[in-house]
Amino acid sequence: MTLKYAYHSAIAGIGATPFTKDSGRTPMDQAVEACLAACEDAGLPPEKVNGFVTYSAEQNPEIELARNLGVEEMTHFSMVHHGGGAACGVIAVACQALYSGAADYVLCYRAFNERSWHRFGAGVQDRPAGAEASEVSFSWSSPFGLVTPASWVAMFATRYMHEYGATTEDFGRVSVVDRDFAATNPYAHFFQRPITLEDHQNSRWIVEPLRLLDCCQETDGAQALLVTTAERAKDLKQKPAVIASAAQGAAEDQHMMRSYYRDSITGIPEMGLCARQLYQSSGLSADDIQTAIIYDHFTPLVLPQLEEFGFCDRGEAKDFIRDGHLGRDGRLPINTNGGQLGEAYIHGLNGIAEGVRQIRGTSVNQIENVENVLATAGTAVPTSALILSQPQ
Amino acid sequence: MSEVMTDEQKEAFVAKLRKEVGSTGTPTTARDPVNQPMIRHWCDAMEDANPLYTDPDAATQGPHNEIVAPPAMLNAWTMIGLVPRVNDPKDPASGVYAMLDEAGYVGVVATNSEHVYHRYLKLGDLLTGTVKLVDVSEEKQTALGIGHFVTTETEYLNQHGEHVGSMFFRILKFRPGTGRTASTGGDGDAAAERPPRPRPSRNQDTDFFWQGSRVGELRIQKCLNCGHLQHPPGTRCPACGSTDMGYITASGEGTLYSYVVSHHPRVPSFDYPLNIGLVELEEGVRLVTNITDCDPDQLKVGMPLRAWHMQTHEDVSIPVFRPARVPRNPSTLTFDEVSVGDELPLCPIPLTPTLIVSTAIASRDYQDVHHDRDMALKKGSEDIFMNILTSSGLSARYIGDWAGPDAVFKNLKIHLGAPNYPYDCMTMSGSVTAKREADGDDIVEVSFRGQNSRGPHVTGTVDLALPRA
Repeated sequence: MTLKYAYHSAIAGIGATPFTKDSGRTPMDQAVEACLAACEDAGLPPEKVNGFVTYSAEQNPEIELARNLGVEEMTHFSMVHHGGGAACGVIAVACQALYSGAADYVLCYRAFNERSWHRFGAGVQDRPAGAEASEVSFSWSSPFGLVTPASWVAMFATRYMHEYGATTEDFGRVSVVDRDFAATNPYAHFFQRPITLEDHQNSRWIVEPLRLLDCCQETDGAQALLVTTAERAKDLKQKPAVIASAAQGAAEDQHMMRSYYRDSITGIPEMGLCARQLYQSSGLSADDIQTAIIYDHFTPLVLPQLEEFGFCDRGEAKDFIRDGHLGRDGRLPINTNGGQLGEAYIHGLNGIAEGVRQIRGTSVNQIENVENVLATAGTAVPTSALILSQPQ
Repeated sequence: MSEVMTDEQKEAFVAKLRKEVGSTGTPTTARDPVNQPMIRHWCDAMEDANPLYTDPDAATQGPHNEIVAPPAMLNAWTMIGLVPRVNDPKDPASGVYAMLDEAGYVGVVATNSEHVYHRYLKLGDLLTGTVKLVDVSEEKQTALGIGHFVTTETEYLNQHGEHVGSMFFRILKFRPGTGRTASTGGDGDAAAERPPRPRPSRNQDTDFFWQGSRVGELRIQKCLNCGHLQHPPGTRCPACGSTDMGYITASGEGTLYSYVVSHHPRVPSFDYPLNIGLVELEEGVRLVTNITDCDPDQLKVGMPLRAWHMQTHEDVSIPVFRPARVPRNPSTLTFDEVSVGDELPLCPIPLTPTLIVSTAIASRDYQDVHHDRDMALKKGSEDIFMNILTSSGLSARYIGDWAGPDAVFKNLKIHLGAPNYPYDCMTMSGSVTAKREADGDDIVEVSFRGQNSRGPHVTGTVDLALPRA
């Protein structure tokens, strides 16, 4: 199996609302603003959009969005499963639609009031509810109080620490990097508010071994990305961020956030599957990546992602991090927008927008000589990843 | 005279109580010499399997060369027994207890026991105990109620006048119903208002699991064609493709594969911090569960665990785990292989009514509060509760099971806190806190704690003489 759409499409426009803790607006209103901004960024009249891709947990139907945007005809619309794990999956599906000719211009979007309307971090206290498989699966965890995303991830973290000798300080170093970049990003919630490792270690426990500063924010806001073919993108306003490849992955004995039953739970095989597809179809390798957006809903799972993509060997991410390689002057600066801990938690789409800015050369924390940017999606769920490249 | 007293009356009352402080009662001789049947009852009730106490052949090979009584039985031999016998009217401690009873301080709990063992008791030793009244406290407000602490010291001699041991002992005599709170802390009130846990939802594919939990069985799906086990259950075997699915009943033995301690957000159905474990069963599959009867800082990847079933709804029980009892050490640790800081394995002691009653009787403590619920309630307790001699006996068993049969107890000092009521579980933990040589012995000091759901029931220390390699 080889992905055929490598280098075929590009992200031509990005748009977002301000990221806040209490928007005072409907998510639909924010979705419209972000989509219009993405079209305007690209210089494309919104009525030309004929494809929409979003991902589960999205509550703003694409048909209503189309109505608000003045889109009359849609030839592709789809919803990718597994929440934040689909952040790059929506781009992969957009690529497939564009490659197949099902659409010309595709908007990928996310909009919610995840702080002011409902607390995403509160988890699934009301589940299981029914006898369908999707509900019954919660019966193996909720009766024991394992109901929040933080707790689901923490179970992997404890085992990872046990097997590889990583510490909560190593998780903290990820947090410090994110907040360092956020401190110089005026768009970030934590603009001008960097933290030290000591701050991290002094922050309260959420679910041991995760502290408050290991957990992403809850955000109100919207992000949209306009995807089209690389060929069409040439005629638009911005330098295209070519999608070298985008891939999805779910691996053996996959569960939603709780794949605890595999022989080993310290790796992320579904992310490894994405890495293999990306590298194979794009011809690129870890050595070709200058900066990356590593999905950081919770810091511990940043470590095995670095291993799955070959930036370091299995179990050695802690050393890679301790050597400072994720920071401004490191081998692989990550999450230069401040990540989801520092900028905002728009389920990964805001990170992909930062990847686009790194290709364009317009990031507030611009890395020099960027040729290729890796972006990953939510971990512990079926996931996805992509590589953005300079146009040839 | 059970009405509340004025300060002046109190002062006069304390003076009266203290009149005999420093004086010694008439020596009391045990009804029976140290004997094998009583030792057997004790060992059965305490689940103490040290062969030096019951197996003549093993005892001959041991450090005492013959059968010895468990040292913690020291004051069991001179207990007065069930048939009420008139206490020595001249005994100063008995006099104080009678005065306190008469004044309305009818509740009684022991709080401290410190045994010193000069030598182990052998079959035929006939003990005589002489009690000295050491102190009577001012009136104090305690969690259990308003009362006075009474402290005694007892010296034990055998029939040859040999000084075999001594006991420092303190009890609280209190007025029932005058405690600081209705309960002694714990979470009794919170538990009453707590909504039930999320109810597992089930369907035809998973029903067997919850039906099993309801009857105390941990059932794991098994492919009846190839034998593959899997959890959570599926509809088809991932190994061979068969749809002929059944289940096995797992042994309930497992180890901790990973864990988290949840603090936030707090779901009202649960107590926080909440221990959640990923347990690997000895059959090879894993499941998410709770680790009960264990402090968060006692959780360790790899620790042995054992399943039990917690009822969460009228018709639902869920499998949860607690630390497994580690088997008794059949050899004996040497002084050199023990280091300060060594931790003893955790040991859970489920507090069944049978344990509480049988140990009280085996230690010849016929105080009604240890076996008669009606009387326990009347005297201000929530239920029957464990007697202090049993707390000593179980502590000694715990330490002895770790150190091995030939370890010699030089003393055993305990302090009691939260009562051990039935249906709870006390988990013992301990560590080596000192090593020294004293009087020709190589002594290892162990500090230990037995914790139930309300807090520490027993804390204490013991000095053990261990053999050199």
